[in-house]
Amino acid sequence: MTVQQIQDLDWVGRLDSAVSEVFEMMLERDCAPTEKADIADPSISARILFSGSIHGECVLFASRTVAQVTAGVMLGAVSESDSPMIEDAIGELCNMIAGGWKSKLGSDEAICAISPPTISTHPTAEPGGFFEGGFRRFYCFEGHVFGVYMAF
Amino acid sequence: MRALIIDDSAVMRKVIERALRQSGIDFLEILQASNGEEALEILRGDTASTMKIGLIISDINMPVMDGLQFLEARRDQQLAVGVPVVMITTEGSEPFVLRAIAAGAQGYICKPFTAEQVKARVVPLLEAA
Repeated sequence: MTVQQIQDLDWVGRLDSAVSEVFEMMLERDCAPTEKADIADPSISARILFSGSIHGECVLFASRTVAQVTAGVMLGAVSESDSPMIEDAIGELCNMIAGGWKSKLGSDEAICAISPPTISTHPTAEPGGFFEGGFRRFYCFEGHVFGVYMAF
Repeated sequence: MRALIIDDSAVMRKVIERALRQSGIDFLEILQASNGEEALEILRGDTASTMKIGLIISDINMPVMDGLQFLEARRDQQLAVGVPVVMITTEGSEPFVLRAIAAGAQGYICKPFTAEQVKARVVPLLEAA
């Protein structure tokens, strides 16, 4: 997948829209793209694989602090910093963003399966590398920044 | 009324439980399973219960036994016959929806969702049951 093809298909815009919808509906928060690309400690990531008419991945990466805040908002209660709910919340968030992005594709493109999320608690400053073309976006809600990397 | 939520994500089970609690239906107990196999075990044990499960909410993408396999096994084993099943999943494409309906699902909600959407799907099914 080339950069030109990704632009032509507006896959970046569809990702922005999917992220916004997930935050609005599930977290009741506004979340918008940001230029800020400095995540101090990208210590947690969730990875979803697409297989079928599209082969690729969606990786969400964030600091533990942002992940903890996100889990707290989803659960309606503060999570302890070592709670397994934090990994679970980031995985589910990635799952919904990937699913939302997929639902915005054309019917032919959307015939692909989504894997369950794989969580990593190792540093993920440079996620991906398994596919030839992709893009990275950063998003901000209430001052908390996280990133999403998609590759095909 | 008792309900059963099936999802491999503990966070999502809590989110769905909160949505059900906000729906206005008086749920005495909300049981939880992390995959279809666990859910079948709960349904087998439920046959002797005086207050049976009256609603099942299930994800599709799960390890061990997914939501579609659960629906088919439930149908084949004649468990919780007549109990409404609503799928809540990121898999909103037509083949998944059609297979779920063929296997006995009465409702389908795509993630992300709001508590209002859960209420709008679940309440009419329970009123009709």
